[in-house]
Amino acid sequence: MSKPTIPTINFKEKAMELLPHGASFEACLTCGLCSSGCPASGLENMDPRKFIRMAMLDMNEELSTTPWVWCCTQCKRCQHVCPMSIDISQLVYIARGNWPQELKPTGIVRSCQGIQATDSTSAMGLPPEDFVFVVQDVLEEVRDTQPDFEKLQAPMDKKGAFFFVNQNSREPMSEPDEMVPLWKIFDVVGADWTYSSKGWAAENFCMFTGDDDAWYSVVKKRVDAVNDLGCQVWLNTECGHSYYTMWNALSRFGIESNFKLESLITYYAKWIREGKLPINSDWNVNNIKFTVQDPCMIVRKAYGESIAEDMRFVTRTLVGKENFIDMQPNRSANYCCGGGGGFLQAGMTEQRRAYGKRKFDQIATTGAAYVLTPCHNCHSQMEDIGHHYGGDYGVVHFWTLICLSLGILGENERTYLGPDLLALIA
Amino acid sequence: MKEEVRHFESELAIIGSGIAGFAASIFALKRGIKTAQIGNTGAVAYTTGYLDLLGKIGGSTEIITDPWKGLEQLQKNQPDHPLSRIPIDDIRAGFDQFTDFLNQAGIGYSAPLDHNLTALTPVGTLKPTLCVPATMEPGIRALSDKTPCIIIDFKGLKGFSGRQVVANLKENWPGLTTKRIHFPEMEKGEVYPEVMARALEVPATREKLAKLLKNGAEDALIIGLPAVLGMHNPDLVRADLEKLTGLKIFEIPTMPPSVPGIRLREMFEQVFPHEGLTLIPQQKVETLSFDDKGATLYLKDNYGPITIHAKSVLLATGRFLSGGLEAHITGITETLLDLPVTQPKNRTDWYQDKYTDSRGHALHKAGIEVDELFRPLGQNGKPYNKRLFAAGIILAHQDWIRARSGAGIAIATAYKAVETIHNYISEHSSAKE
Repeated sequence: MSKPTIPTINFKEKAMELLPHGASFEACLTCGLCSSGCPASGLENMDPRKFIRMAMLDMNEELSTTPWVWCCTQCKRCQHVCPMSIDISQLVYIARGNWPQELKPTGIVRSCQGIQATDSTSAMGLPPEDFVFVVQDVLEEVRDTQPDFEKLQAPMDKKGAFFFVNQNSREPMSEPDEMVPLWKIFDVVGADWTYSSKGWAAENFCMFTGDDDAWYSVVKKRVDAVNDLGCQVWLNTECGHSYYTMWNALSRFGIESNFKLESLITYYAKWIREGKLPINSDWNVNNIKFTVQDPCMIVRKAYGESIAEDMRFVTRTLVGKENFIDMQPNRSANYCCGGGGGFLQAGMTEQRRAYGKRKFDQIATTGAAYVLTPCHNCHSQMEDIGHHYGGDYGVVHFWTLICLSLGILGENERTYLGPDLLALIA
Repeated sequence: MKEEVRHFESELAIIGSGIAGFAASIFALKRGIKTAQIGNTGAVAYTTGYLDLLGKIGGSTEIITDPWKGLEQLQKNQPDHPLSRIPIDDIRAGFDQFTDFLNQAGIGYSAPLDHNLTALTPVGTLKPTLCVPATMEPGIRALSDKTPCIIIDFKGLKGFSGRQVVANLKENWPGLTTKRIHFPEMEKGEVYPEVMARALEVPATREKLAKLLKNGAEDALIIGLPAVLGMHNPDLVRADLEKLTGLKIFEIPTMPPSVPGIRLREMFEQVFPHEGLTLIPQQKVETLSFDDKGATLYLKDNYGPITIHAKSVLLATGRFLSGGLEAHITGITETLLDLPVTQPKNRTDWYQDKYTDSRGHALHKAGIEVDELFRPLGQNGKPYNKRLFAAGIILAHQDWIRARSGAGIAIATAYKAVETIHNYISEHSSAKE
């Protein structure tokens, strides 16, 4: 069998098709705001401006084969700062999809295959019966060992529940105790929720392979699962891209759905405002400093400023106004951490860490002891670059800190707390 | 899934996010007007950071030293010029309020004086301007005192060359030298001012750079750097580097994309929402319509459709680069409402034969007409709508680049327009609408 090769795409033609209404490449001043604001600039000797100019010069072979498309996390910051609103990430998506499966980064491809392998849609390949078992097992342990929660619920396949709750596979697979704080929060606010044995997983690496058919099939399975249970809200938990892959796909593929897509962050904020989630910052007696990481997938690429503001409202309430320090830039202008787009799974460690240097600098400038983020890929990447560049910050989930504030964080649920936080609840 | 339309109510909707739009938001906030500002990222990221008022008049090559006197002359020579239609005291008040706001928001600016400053351009030529970022002020003094100075630039940085700056200034500034160094941890490939500026927000990077600067400074008493001294705390970054090196340090603007403009934009994006302003940056308004009750703006962001209802609208959409005006084979049009555009009769009249002709090009004075209340005129020569106002360089009869008056026109017309908008809102708020 001959070695697979990457077919050549006519990028100029594709770029023209993708131009927003009223935009024109003739008006591109090649000013470089895109490249100047992109952490992937310089990796693999490429940057967004170069990509567009090469497309205009019909350098299709070079663009079709550049591994840079796996370093670009498709975070859309280039478009965000471009006066012409040129969307380079869509060209990158097309370029990714054009690579033969055998040549794509195996980590991303395997994750997509895992998602398609079972009804769970789990990248780690956890089948439905195993998910059901893990949830039940962890639930029984909590009921047995935490007297305040002997009646804790983790409903499965409950028809007509208000919330259909998804979960990143990393929790049931690698750190099942991390699901418990979330269940406790639902318990405190009295939420009517359910997991589903089908389509419960959050992650969707099929989008990152550039494969429309695979992306569609995953989302379709998840949408069917929500529709089958008759839930009103698909509640995306602390995972960034899962929201975007679902939300974007509904309009992209014209999928019928009878429910709303919402983010857990929005609900944290809502429950606090309604008094259902009575958190405060009284616990933070040592004024430990926190910052937040805006996941591109839910902030810049989807909700925009409203969710960024909700995230800050939750954080300020949780840690104290004076103990929250924003990264600069932030919200929709925030930098991708380098964990997105499948970069963490692409096996390009050196490039990914070079990309993450800017995030590390942002965090270092705040002087914060912890970064809060509702995204697993952000979480893993920021931990990794922290170790790599010698940072001394921790990364925590919102659910952990919320339960800490409520005084209900169990002993097995404290993995991400450093000694300073552990000392406060000892 | 159904798309939800998000809706905002405001007294004033400002369309545009250049200097005029941002200035208008400052003035509206100060007057307590409930404001929404919308507009995609415009040319503000290209600014040097200098705030020019008036540096030249008409075809004259003479530099204006006192811009306030210059304005009096402008009123006589060019009564149609937007700056000629605003009382000088109002222009002063606009500059005061604008620079006060920047100072309070954490970006130090020099106060407007009674004369123009002589400032350095990225290529080492000189230009008259009124206010400069505090990070650039020491360079203006060093230039006038001819202090022994070294311009230090960085390997891999395009669009700024110390050698070029020195070549242009050496004759009048004998103690001026230059040196090129590596920026810490950016030894390979192209480096961008924005990236360096953000890296200098980190204390550890400042320490590394300070060592390199100290070693490179030789006998100079003051160091000139391309504008990379931090993005959100430029004054702190400069002060810290001065402390670490024991030398005076100043910034010179670079070619776009340049830090001073990104500083302003990111600062506004941080501060305005805190002040209660609805800011929707990065998105263009798609349609604007008026009825008896007010104006309706329609736009889309990544999440979906947005409508804004406003009692009044300020059009500050700029010219060609920002998309307020569009040039076609048949002529120039205004893009949002198709307002009449004052322009040369024929396309052949757009330019002089020589690009550098000191009289400038007729095309550069194209724009929309406004009445004395800064309301754009429609096809019939009457205000297009009583609720519509305009400010900034979309206004006709000015060539802001040639006259070194870009910020001046933006700030002054925004000040005047917001004043008349305030009057309009006040007069109509008691009446039933």
